[in-house]
Amino acid sequence: MTVIDLVMRVDSICKKFDKYDVDKQKNLNAAGDDAFARLYSVVEAGLDAVLQKSEAAKIEKSRATAVATNAEIRRTKARLLEEIPKLQRLAFKQVKGLSKEEREARSDLVAALKDRIEAVADGNISAAKQGGDSAPSASYGGIKFGSTYDGRFDDDYFQQTEESDQFRQEYEMRRMKQDQGLDVISEGLDALKNMAHDMNEELDRQVPLMDEIDDKVDRATSDLKTTNVRLKDTVNKMRSSRNFCIDIILLVIILGIASYLYK
Amino acid sequence: MLSSPWDAAKDMESAAALAKELGNWNEVSDFYRRASELYMECGRPQPASDALVKAARALEDTIPDAAVQLYNEASAILEEDGKEQMTFDLYCAASSVYVKLEKYSAAATSLLQLGLAADKCNATNSQCKAYLGAIIMYLYAHDFKQAEKCYNDCSQVDAFLRSDQNRCASKLLSAYTEGDIEEIKRLAQSSTVSNLDHVVIKLARKLPTGDVSALKTDAAVEEEEPLDENDLT
Repeated sequence: MTVIDLVMRVDSICKKFDKYDVDKQKNLNAAGDDAFARLYSVVEAGLDAVLQKSEAAKIEKSRATAVATNAEIRRTKARLLEEIPKLQRLAFKQVKGLSKEEREARSDLVAALKDRIEAVADGNISAAKQGGDSAPSASYGGIKFGSTYDGRFDDDYFQQTEESDQFRQEYEMRRMKQDQGLDVISEGLDALKNMAHDMNEELDRQVPLMDEIDDKVDRATSDLKTTNVRLKDTVNKMRSSRNFCIDIILLVIILGIASYLYK
Repeated sequence: MLSSPWDAAKDMESAAALAKELGNWNEVSDFYRRASELYMECGRPQPASDALVKAARALEDTIPDAAVQLYNEASAILEEDGKEQMTFDLYCAASSVYVKLEKYSAAATSLLQLGLAADKCNATNSQCKAYLGAIIMYLYAHDFKQAEKCYNDCSQVDAFLRSDQNRCASKLLSAYTEGDIEEIKRLAQSSTVSNLDHVVIKLARKLPTGDVSALKTDAAVEEEEPLDENDLT
């Protein structure tokens, strides 16, 4: 049996069992019914496409592409939402062969469709998920200084003497100075961190340049090597003694002629 | 074939330099563009973009619009070649020219493009600094809604979310919603902002522009409406 025969047999079998193909029947029925059903199926298809895109955006690893996809989803949603008023108007129109209940059901369908479109996630979540404002960067855990003293000693607990007062004041002064010093250190560390990051990026930038330089220098070296070898061969050929003597004799002759002319 | 586009390009560049000294600005840009095209013919996109950058620098003071155009073209050439790391400086320069032209949203867009280029080469520090710079740019133009939208978009990027710049930006935005001018000034003096590009630092030091208390009342009004709905139900 040839391929063509196979194909024809498959086609006839498919035609025979077409009435069992649910999707196809749905499409055939939907089209040609009335304008409402057609538009409804179109909008529903658009909604399915948008849902698929939003699913893809959710699992998308690259954030930049996710943002771009979300913008696209938002635009498509806006376009679909524009079709909804048209659909609503069609739903209220009287179509022959349609009972009153079915018309009301249609407007409910339209409202449900609108809700479904608006419910599609498009990444418009506000950044309320601030992971740990109070945690320092690189989340090395909150660095806590073990200071339980807050300077709030009640007078009930003890009687102040002059010495203890002075001591407490000195303690406060030293603590303030320490805080200032730590602030200065933290600014310095910030500057260092920034410089380190910048240096890191600069080095990353220079790595491909170094690779290029490497390639080019390698090529230049190999060119030089071949040129040197050829030069050596040429010089060896030229250096044969016979040519050398002939050159010297001819030079002497020329000098003799020149001196004769200028005498 | 005696044609040598490389030498032609080099000569074009010298011609352009001479035109710059003569002050024929149109010729400067034409010659540099021609030189860049010749470099591309040789298949060397880097010198091509360098030629455009030289043109842009020459025209920065006289014809800033053309300068920005040239910067953008140079960045496009480098991105096509896959050398996004070289584009950081170009985007920075383009945004500073926009700031000179007082087109702050365009400047912010340039910074966001810088962020995108940095994202492609995993340069997280530059990326976060670019995003913070863009937010500050929007705040300087007193466009709080845009600044917030920008902040929300940027927070979706992991690298920015985990960074110091993110915290600084969120503190800045909350200071704006509360109308706390002292806080804004204090944040502008902080080390995070001082590590940014100097053009951005200058703008940050001038914050807040305009009336911050108006933003405070807007935010308060927005909060009241949802409460009303709850009361009705």
